[in-house]
Amino acid sequence: MLAGIILLSGTAVILSRNPVHSVLWLILAFFNAAGLFLMLGAEFLAMILVIVYVGAVAVLFLFVVMMLDIDFAKLREGFVSYLPFGLILAGVLAAELIVAAMAAVVVGSPGEPVAPVIAAAADVSNTEALGALIYTKYAYVFQASGMVLLTAMIGAIVLTHRQRSGVKRQNIGQQVARRPEDAVIITKPGVGQGVEL
Amino acid sequence: MQPIAESIGIAAPELVLATGAMVLLMLGVFRGNRSLHGLTYGGVIIYAIAGFALLGDAQSELAFDGLYIADDFSAYLKVLIFAAAAICSIIALPYLVRARSDKFEYPVLIMLGALGMSMMVSANDLLSLYIGLELQSLAAYVLAAFHRNEASSSEAGLKYFVLGALASGILLYGVSLVYGFTGTTDFRLLQVAVTETPAVGTVIGLVFILAGLAFKVSAVPFHMWTPDVYQGAPTPVAAFFASAPKAAAMGLLVRVCMDAFGGMMSEWQQIIAFMAIASMVLGAVGAIGQRSIKRLLAYSSINNIGFALIGLAAASELGISGVLFYMAIYLPMTIGAFLVVLSLRGADGRPLDTMNSLKGLSKTRPGLAIALLIFMFSLAGIPPLFGFWPKFAVFNAAIDAEMYVLAVIGVVTSVVGAFYYLRIIKLAYFDEPEGTVLPQESRVNGALLAGIAVFCSPLGLFLMGPITVAAARAARAMLTF
Amino acid sequence: MVEAFQNSFLGPYVGYVAAYVILILAIVLPLLIGVAYAVYADRKIWAAAQMRRGPNVVGPWGLLQSFADGLKVFLKETIIPAGANKGVFLLAPIIMFTVALLGWAVIPFSAEMVLADINVGILYIFAVSSLGVYGIIMSGWASNSKYPFLGGLRSAAQMVSYEVSIGFIIITVVLWASSFNLNDIVLSQKGTILGIINMHMFNPLLFPMFIMFFISALAETNRPPFDLPEAEAELVAGYQTEYSSMAFALFWLGEYAAILLMCALMSVLFLGGWLPPFDWAPLYVIPGAIWLILKICFLFFLFAWVFATVPRFRYDQLMRLGWKVFLPLSLFWVVVVSGYLMFFTDKFA
Repeated sequence: MLAGIILLSGTAVILSRNPVHSVLWLILAFFNAAGLFLMLGAEFLAMILVIVYVGAVAVLFLFVVMMLDIDFAKLREGFVSYLPFGLILAGVLAAELIVAAMAAVVVGSPGEPVAPVIAAAADVSNTEALGALIYTKYAYVFQASGMVLLTAMIGAIVLTHRQRSGVKRQNIGQQVARRPEDAVIITKPGVGQGVEL
Repeated sequence: MQPIAESIGIAAPELVLATGAMVLLMLGVFRGNRSLHGLTYGGVIIYAIAGFALLGDAQSELAFDGLYIADDFSAYLKVLIFAAAAICSIIALPYLVRARSDKFEYPVLIMLGALGMSMMVSANDLLSLYIGLELQSLAAYVLAAFHRNEASSSEAGLKYFVLGALASGILLYGVSLVYGFTGTTDFRLLQVAVTETPAVGTVIGLVFILAGLAFKVSAVPFHMWTPDVYQGAPTPVAAFFASAPKAAAMGLLVRVCMDAFGGMMSEWQQIIAFMAIASMVLGAVGAIGQRSIKRLLAYSSINNIGFALIGLAAASELGISGVLFYMAIYLPMTIGAFLVVLSLRGADGRPLDTMNSLKGLSKTRPGLAIALLIFMFSLAGIPPLFGFWPKFAVFNAAIDAEMYVLAVIGVVTSVVGAFYYLRIIKLAYFDEPEGTVLPQESRVNGALLAGIAVFCSPLGLFLMGPITVAAARAARAMLTF
Repeated sequence: MVEAFQNSFLGPYVGYVAAYVILILAIVLPLLIGVAYAVYADRKIWAAAQMRRGPNVVGPWGLLQSFADGLKVFLKETIIPAGANKGVFLLAPIIMFTVALLGWAVIPFSAEMVLADINVGILYIFAVSSLGVYGIIMSGWASNSKYPFLGGLRSAAQMVSYEVSIGFIIITVVLWASSFNLNDIVLSQKGTILGIINMHMFNPLLFPMFIMFFISALAETNRPPFDLPEAEAELVAGYQTEYSSMAFALFWLGEYAAILLMCALMSVLFLGGWLPPFDWAPLYVIPGAIWLILKICFLFFLFAWVFATVPRFRYDQLMRLGWKVFLPLSLFWVVVVSGYLMFFTDKFA
């Protein structure tokens, strides 16, 4: 059922006219994917999926999509002219898959996995099991993923950060460090005399 | 479980690069953009250190529980990658300063890209393959859009990103299929699992993986991004794209085909042969009508990848050493050609990119014209020049493997290709100058240009012995382990 | 209790559902009444801070004020603006309200009194509390009006920013407890300080995290001084501007339920949850739920106190605090805490 909802909402993502609705459908799809993880007994992954994708990524996505001003009538203009080509391509791919599936049915053997899938130990929660694997066997890829994220971060900063000139910035340290003696002069001017600043 | 310390020793070059990139980044953050020059040369030193870390015992070693492999093959390609990355970060300096994009992140990004590439050639598992590839690609996307104030550069970055993400997706899909049908991602185990009559899922997975990798080497039919990205991206970045990532992705392709899927040779051989033929033909024909030098060089790189793929299609030790030899010669040639483009500046100091700006170059800039002559003849594969020998090597391998059609098509397309290389020579030597071309502004770039030109000229033949020996050793290491 | 129902005449399936429905109602109904009194308490505390009397007309000392208000909004007409995106407009308050209630499923009221004692309880609460932003951002967008839209955007940015530091703070506590399970986290605080105090709050390494968590919780629930999404001086009423009657009431209820949830979470993480404050046998006579409720009340009082005394932050200052102060500090603290646990205790041995 969850997989079915994923498929339905996935279709709705591309079919809905309003991009914001598309994002909302996408969020529904994420939720159901998390549900699938839960049913597989991978509760840690399910929660992380909700926290990261639904809680942060999709919010930012929604944020951006809401601010975009897209004319969808215009986007659709090219649709009809590309339709035949797209249909042909889809047909070819579908045919390929069907042929492959037929062959699989005929040949039959799906290939024996060489490495048996490691069954999780019953007394270890899957959070622990995941950690034990990531930090030992897959430490290399884990660290390398860190480098990938660092690169992405540098990239985002390079491409968007601008140094504007002529902006008055608030320097909180300076504000806090300012003492009354620097800012206030107490004088007692006589009658008829002005105050010299 | 292999001890981490041992693995770290084996993966020292990557470690040097990763630490180096972070050190450069920190320095850059605190010193600001004026530290660009310092950081660039610091980066060169780091590449040199990483290169030294490559030396040492020459046996093939696995690290990190089989995720990583260090052998002669990876060492050979890493030398090429580090050298290309170092050169590409140096040659960019005057260009970046002039274009006011002199941000300190440039050498850092190049270094992260180089790190990704060296992880690619050392990958011994589909997981590390993917991560390396992604690291390299992410750095490349950002570099393509580095000139963010120019529409063409942003466009190049976006195009590259969208298509690249699609290619990564296809690759991942392939990886998951292969994992699903064989139960492993380790190349060693895949070698055992993959046999002459593989499961259908494995075949589809292999096709998807090859498609993803073909995108990275810009082999036809996954080449569409190449001309647009090369033209839009800043010239030194285009030089980088045409050199180091090609070597890395080629190495990866060789390892995946020969090592992991060695059992399915008959399946992938057809695919590679088709890609080789299509790339050679399209690269040669597509280049003919181009007006932009960078687009032309893009088609030239597609063409050259086609030649290199012949070696892989031969699937023999001779073929693999041919591929490696090809990469070693192709890299300097293409960097040199881009360096010539980089040195072309019009009267207003802006970079020139049209074919017409080459007119009469022999009169305005005789030195540059000679370098251009050498590179073009070399790319065309005219015998006394260095560019001839790698082509000879791959054709030789194809004939040795009795793939005569492939060899014949290769020879024919290289004749067709010679046409547009010669057209450039004609423009430079036999036409009257139009407008002026400013002299070289950076001595370093001039010296590098001269050095690469000498390498590609017949004088470079002195180096042929050592390179072929190294390539042969690398190919043997790859096949025997 | 679930087994008892399953073994009764209802049969295993119906009994299972019935048992859980009753358990859920047992949490939700007191919670809603609690919310009504939280609103009342809030108003009384502000009034006290401003030397006013606050609500005092409906019922003795005004105790029924919230119910009168509830009845009032219930009877009013629901107005849907002509330009609004109807489906999303109506969905938004429902999401806001539901999500605020969802988190309570895993809060332990005592060692056994917990609806769903799951392994990743803390992650579940974190996930659910991060969903609250959808109610706000959807309402802001669907209202098709500029003030709600601005309010929605502000809120989205603000909540995402502070979730990051909340995540790191939670990690420090999780490291200490070596578990994601809320009951384990509560039990790990038993006698943690000098063998007698049952609170992480008085742990010198975790006290700064408690302060930061408190401030982040204010931001996460859009409470003053971080109530920029509904800053009345600039945005009328922010994302709720176009809402009326029951939809408006759902926002109101959802907001207070979320605040109480945050207070409950804070009690569980830092104040020892259902444990009494001191590890002294006679105190365990009082049921755990009472201790938890007392702690929630105390934290809620702090929330109201802050509301009454602190001026609203400017938006850039809010972002600065979140990204430039809290994020690096909490990240650094994760390193400090894990370093301490690694080198000075045998937790990771």
